[in-house]
Amino acid sequence: MAEVLLEVRGLTAGYGAGPVLHGVDLDFQAGELLALIGANGAGKSTLLGVLSGLVPPTSGSILFAGRNLTGARPERVVRAGIAHVPQGRRLFATMTVRQNLVLGAYLRRDREVQSDIDRVVGYFPALGDKLQRVAGTLSGGEQQMVAIGRGLMGRPRLLMIDEPSLGLAPKVVETVIEVCQSINRDGVSVLLVEQDVVVALEAADRGYVLENGRIALSGSARELQDDPAVRKAYLGV
Amino acid sequence: MSLFVQQVILGLMLGGVYVAVAIGFSLVWGVLNIVNLAHGALVVVGMYATWFLFTHAGIDPFLTLPLDAVVLFAIGYLVQRGLINRVIRAPLFFTLLLTFGINLVLINLFLLWFKADFRSVTTSYSGAGLNVGAVTIPYIRLAALVIAMLLAGAVGFFMNRTRTGFAIQAVGADKDAAQLVGIDLRHVYALTFAVGAACAGVAGGLLSTVQAISPTAGEPYTLQAFVVVILGGLGRVSATVVGGLLFGLIEVLAQSQVPGLGAGWSNAIAFAVLVLVLVLRPQGLLGRLA
Repeated sequence: MAEVLLEVRGLTAGYGAGPVLHGVDLDFQAGELLALIGANGAGKSTLLGVLSGLVPPTSGSILFAGRNLTGARPERVVRAGIAHVPQGRRLFATMTVRQNLVLGAYLRRDREVQSDIDRVVGYFPALGDKLQRVAGTLSGGEQQMVAIGRGLMGRPRLLMIDEPSLGLAPKVVETVIEVCQSINRDGVSVLLVEQDVVVALEAADRGYVLENGRIALSGSARELQDDPAVRKAYLGV
Repeated sequence: MSLFVQQVILGLMLGGVYVAVAIGFSLVWGVLNIVNLAHGALVVVGMYATWFLFTHAGIDPFLTLPLDAVVLFAIGYLVQRGLINRVIRAPLFFTLLLTFGINLVLINLFLLWFKADFRSVTTSYSGAGLNVGAVTIPYIRLAALVIAMLLAGAVGFFMNRTRTGFAIQAVGADKDAAQLVGIDLRHVYALTFAVGAACAGVAGGLLSTVQAISPTAGEPYTLQAFVVVILGGLGRVSATVVGGLLFGLIEVLAQSQVPGLGAGWSNAIAFAVLVLVLVLRPQGLLGRLA
C-alpha cells in the first residue's frame, strides 16, 4: 500500500453563519490524482480553504505527511508542501507573469527559481513568450496556467487546484487538465476540485463526492462514473 | 520675474517636504488600506528624536536621519503587530478610530515628556543659502528636497526590486493569494507599517530643521499627506512624488500670487485642492482606477 499523504478526520468548519463542512473524512495516497466533485455550495472551496490554512477549522484533524497541520497558518502549510491554486486564479494582476511565478517560490531560498520557471513553461509552452506580460492582461486560460505555475513554484508535494475549468473554453480545459495529469505523472499528488464532473472523473484515479458539507460517496473514478446516483445528479443521464 | 522663479523654487522645496511626509502615509494606505491618522504624530517623533540627538549629543540633524528611521521602524512594527493587526479585518472605520486614538496617546506622551514648549534645531548653516542672481536657495530646504527625492528613490527600489517589496505589493493586491504563496500576513503588515513609520521619521528629522517643534506640530501634515496622496494617486511612489511637488507649488504660488491669500490660507488651499481633485479626477493624477 502506498504512503498516506493526507489524512483528514471529522473536519468541521464554517464562517459564522453556521457550519459549511460537517465532519469530512478524506484519505489521500501519495502520487494520486484525486477528484473532489460536488455541486455549487457543497463546501469544496471551503474544504480547500481549511486545508491551506485560510479558514480555521472548528473541529477535526488534518495530518499531512505525518505532520499535524490542523489549524496551521497558511505559510506553514505552504512550507509543509501543500500548494493551493484558488478558484478564479487570483493572480497578482498588475505584476508580470514572471513576478507572479517568482512570488510562488516566496518561501524558497535556493537558486533554482529560474530553472523552475523553465519547468513551468515546459508544462505550459503558451506562457513562454508572455513572461514579461502583465498578468491581468492575459486570457482566462493563460491566467489559469500562470496560477497553476505559481502553485508549482513552491515545489509542493500536493497541488490542490480549485475549479480550473471555470469560464474556459472546452479546448483550453482539455489542455489544462492534461497538464494536471502530466504534473501528477512527474510525482506531484494532485487534488482536482471540479464542478465539471465528466472532466474531473476522466482525469482522476479516485474521487470524492461532497454534498452539503459531507462526503456522500467515494471510490475509484471508474466506479463513480458508473454510479447511478452520480450519473443522475451530475452527469444528467 | 525673478520673484516668480523664487516662488517656484520655494514651492518645489516645500513640495519635497510634502513628498517625504506623504510617502509613508501613501504606502500604509495603499497596502494596508489604513488611513493612518497618527502619521503626523509619528513625524513628530522624528522631530523630537533629531532635536534630542542634536541638542544633547551634538549630532548634525541630517546625520540623525538614519537613526530616526530605525527608531520609527521599530515603533511602527510594534504598533502594527501589537495593536492595528487586531482590527485590520474590521471595516475602515475601526482602523481610523484606532489610529486617531494612537495619535492622541502620542501627542499626550510628547506633552508629558517634552512639555508644550516650542523647540528648534538651529545649526551654523541654518540661515545660509545659495544666491543665483536675485534668487536665493536656502541650503537646508535644498537638502530637504534632495533627501526627500532620495527617500522616494529608496522606497521605490525597495518596493519594486526586493523580495520583501514584492511581498508587500502582493499583500496589497490580494491578501488571500499572498498567503497562499506562503507570505506571513501579520509580519508583512507590520513591516509595511514600519517602513511607513520610518519614512515619517525621516520626514520629521527634515522638518525639525525648518520649523518649530511642539507636540502638535505634526497635525497639519496628516491632512497634507492625505491631500498629496489624493492629488497624486494611490499605490505608486512616483505618484506621491508628483503629488507632493505639485502640492508644494500650488500652496506657495497661491499664497504669493493670488491677491488676498496669505499664509493663513494654507488649510483652505489644501481642502480646495482636495475637493477639486475628487470632483475632476478622483483616481488622482497618476492613479489607477480601482
